[in-house]
Amino acid sequence: MSDASTEMKVTAASDIEVDRDALDQSIKDFVGPNGDYYVDAFHTIHDSTGVFPKTFNIAAALVGPVWASSRAIWGMFWSFLILEIIAWVQIGRGLWGNLGADFLARADQQRERMQERLDQAAAAADDETRQRFETLAENMQRAIDQNLERAEAAQAEGVSILLMGLALLLVFKLAQGIYANIAYEKQYSRWRIDPEGTESGRSTTNLVLGLVLAALIAPLIIYKFTVSNSLALLDEFPERQVSEMVLGDGGGTLFGAVASWMEARIDAAATAGGDVFDGIVAGVRTVLDGLTLALNGSPWPVVMLVIAVTAYRAAGPRVAIFTVAAMAYTALLGYWALAMETVALVGAAVILCVIIGIPLGVWFGKSQRAYRMAEPVLDLMQTLPAFVYLIPIIAFFGTGNPPGILATIIFGMPPVIRLTALGMRGVPESIKEAAVAFGASKWQLLKDVEIPLALPSIMAGVNQTILMCLSMVVIISLIGGGGLGQEILEALQFAAKGPGLLGGFAILFLAMVMDRVVQGAFKRADQK
Amino acid sequence: MDDPVVKLENVWKIFGERSAEAMKAVREEGLTKPEVLERFRCVVGVQDASFEVARGEIFCIMGLSGSGKSTLVRHVNRLIEPTAGKIEILGQDVSAISASELRRIRAQQIGMVFQHMALLPHRSVRDNVAYPLEIRKVPKSKRWAISDHALGLVDLTGYEDRLPRELSGGMQQRVGIARALASDPEILLMDEPFSALDPLIRLQLQDQFKALVAQLKKTTLFITHDLDEAIRIGHRIAIMKDGVIVQIGTPEDIVMNPTDDYVREFVQGISKLKLVKAHSIMEPMESFKGSLDTAPRADEGADLDQLIDLAVGTDLPVVITQDNRDIGIVTKPRLLRGIQGGKDE
Repeated sequence: MSDASTEMKVTAASDIEVDRDALDQSIKDFVGPNGDYYVDAFHTIHDSTGVFPKTFNIAAALVGPVWASSRAIWGMFWSFLILEIIAWVQIGRGLWGNLGADFLARADQQRERMQERLDQAAAAADDETRQRFETLAENMQRAIDQNLERAEAAQAEGVSILLMGLALLLVFKLAQGIYANIAYEKQYSRWRIDPEGTESGRSTTNLVLGLVLAALIAPLIIYKFTVSNSLALLDEFPERQVSEMVLGDGGGTLFGAVASWMEARIDAAATAGGDVFDGIVAGVRTVLDGLTLALNGSPWPVVMLVIAVTAYRAAGPRVAIFTVAAMAYTALLGYWALAMETVALVGAAVILCVIIGIPLGVWFGKSQRAYRMAEPVLDLMQTLPAFVYLIPIIAFFGTGNPPGILATIIFGMPPVIRLTALGMRGVPESIKEAAVAFGASKWQLLKDVEIPLALPSIMAGVNQTILMCLSMVVIISLIGGGGLGQEILEALQFAAKGPGLLGGFAILFLAMVMDRVVQGAFKRADQK
Repeated sequence: MDDPVVKLENVWKIFGERSAEAMKAVREEGLTKPEVLERFRCVVGVQDASFEVARGEIFCIMGLSGSGKSTLVRHVNRLIEPTAGKIEILGQDVSAISASELRRIRAQQIGMVFQHMALLPHRSVRDNVAYPLEIRKVPKSKRWAISDHALGLVDLTGYEDRLPRELSGGMQQRVGIARALASDPEILLMDEPFSALDPLIRLQLQDQFKALVAQLKKTTLFITHDLDEAIRIGHRIAIMKDGVIVQIGTPEDIVMNPTDDYVREFVQGISKLKLVKAHSIMEPMESFKGSLDTAPRADEGADLDQLIDLAVGTDLPVVITQDNRDIGIVTKPRLLRGIQGGKDE
């Protein structure tokens, strides 16, 4: 295999020559117009060993952001556009900004009042009164002088502001001149990796875009910040005028129109689907009633005993001791019934989340298409602030505990769905194939292989769902949910610090006990 | 010889959404693989494969990765549906049977062992082995007894209640073999079962496996990318390249008469001493002029190794016999060429 032609020549690293020609051609391909200049500049950068290569791009220094835009270095365009505008605003303020305007206006007012006093003094009947008015007028005069002095000082500051603006501009221009070639060389390196996705050369479109952006942005900002009474149009969006243009005079606002239209729709939907919504509420209420009966209907010593033993069995003695302490806290402060109501609320929500969420997760884990369709909905359920969907929930389901549970489900269900789907997709293909090869049916595959192997992930999802449901406890009290959340809401309304904190701790302990017990149980299941 | 246990006839597998169209075009226009890929964006996995495996035979399918050997063997239990062709198991056409019948055949007639073991991590070794029986709804007491017996066959008694992750790789694969044997299937499909193991364990398991299969008389399809393994284990070997079966034959056949350069390159490094038998290198009696009365004698089934032992003690050629009848001779030049693997001087 070792004929002479394929033999490699070994060269010491220090003897390796840089092949300029290929590189130069590639740089020229990238740069387009003005290739020779950039070939030299990039060479300087490539040969440099210091932090700042000694290159200076005069064009970039002179026209600044416009150069950057023409070369499609948009990061540099935006940052230096903003910096240059700051410099220009300073220059503008120094040149034509009325810096003492505030003080002069105040002095004018005071001059008027002084004139009044003088008039009063002239019209005074006796010396004493005249003297009093004259003293007042004198004081006023002093204040006027002070303000005039201040105005003058402010005006005098104008020169220094102007100078500072000029200095800033000079610094930014220099910075652009130095940085331009470095940034452009970085763009070139990116272009070598991804020639399709990186813009190269000098394009007229980009140049025009940069010019237009700069021409629109810079003058407006400079005008707004240098002229003391700028146009009102620039301060506020003219939504009323636009509404009038669209809806005609006296047609109200766009907002009003859309809002009332939506309200009518929602009312109609609520009426039309009344039976369905009532049915859902009834279903949720059944679950809740069952849990409430178990937790609040049973004698409290029984409930406490069962909870303590469960904690001990599931998570060990330390969690059990903590659980007993937490129960003692809630019971001694009179929160017992409320705490159990909260547990029932959260429990009902979690049960429903699991009953609905795990099958959905299994489905989404198996069908990539279904998951892709559901993903935006899941994202929405988690990102939409709870307050937003509380309102339609009231419209469709009314107020009270069951609608509160529904709101909790919306927020709490996504994790169990997501993590179930994730777990299902994580089951190794080889193990599934083995089960199928031994004759497993779809149901056997699901029951014996997929669910058991996805179980750790599913349990992580259930745990997250429990915590997210707990976090809704206070929010659902806004639509009539009971339990400890209501206590907190009342304390908030009256700014009652003591009751609020005590109730808050009760919720905190509840959450910690639930989390510890469930995690302990899952950990034991995991080890099996 | 009775009917073949496994029989594949002109099996094609084309992957891709337009596989049916591609198949038609291949039939009618005789497209090549690259043409199919270009025109239909379909990949030809298996191309016109036919073979038969007799009862009790170990049939090795050898090829490099991507040659389609795993795809081919998955047609036997229809983990992969053929695009065209016929597959018969024990005389039954499996491409025509219902889903439940297919599941029954998979559970009862075919045991499969996988390269990555594919054991259920949450079940004990015993329950893993019993899983094919559980699928068939065999009662627990019965399947535990069968499972313990199968584990005994692979020398894993005493590990029944462990979890798979507590066992070494070699032991895990033995669990895989026990699982495949548990339902006492007619056919074993071995998908590179020993590839992921280290060489010493692999040798051990190969021998153990060969003995076990001979004892249990299982018909075996054994996939491997290692020719040494194929020769060591297989009664017959099929060599696959790019989805095509290039050559089918006994190990000796393949080594002595490779059909093309591809196979020749493969067999180059294989030691022929234990593989090549006297009858394949012998010359006719007439080619030696002289008395052979004192020449050493060997049966036609003697391998090169034995022939060398006989040849070093004499200047005469070795006489080859069949049923105590002289049928040919092996001269020293022939013997040396035989060791090299070539036949001609």
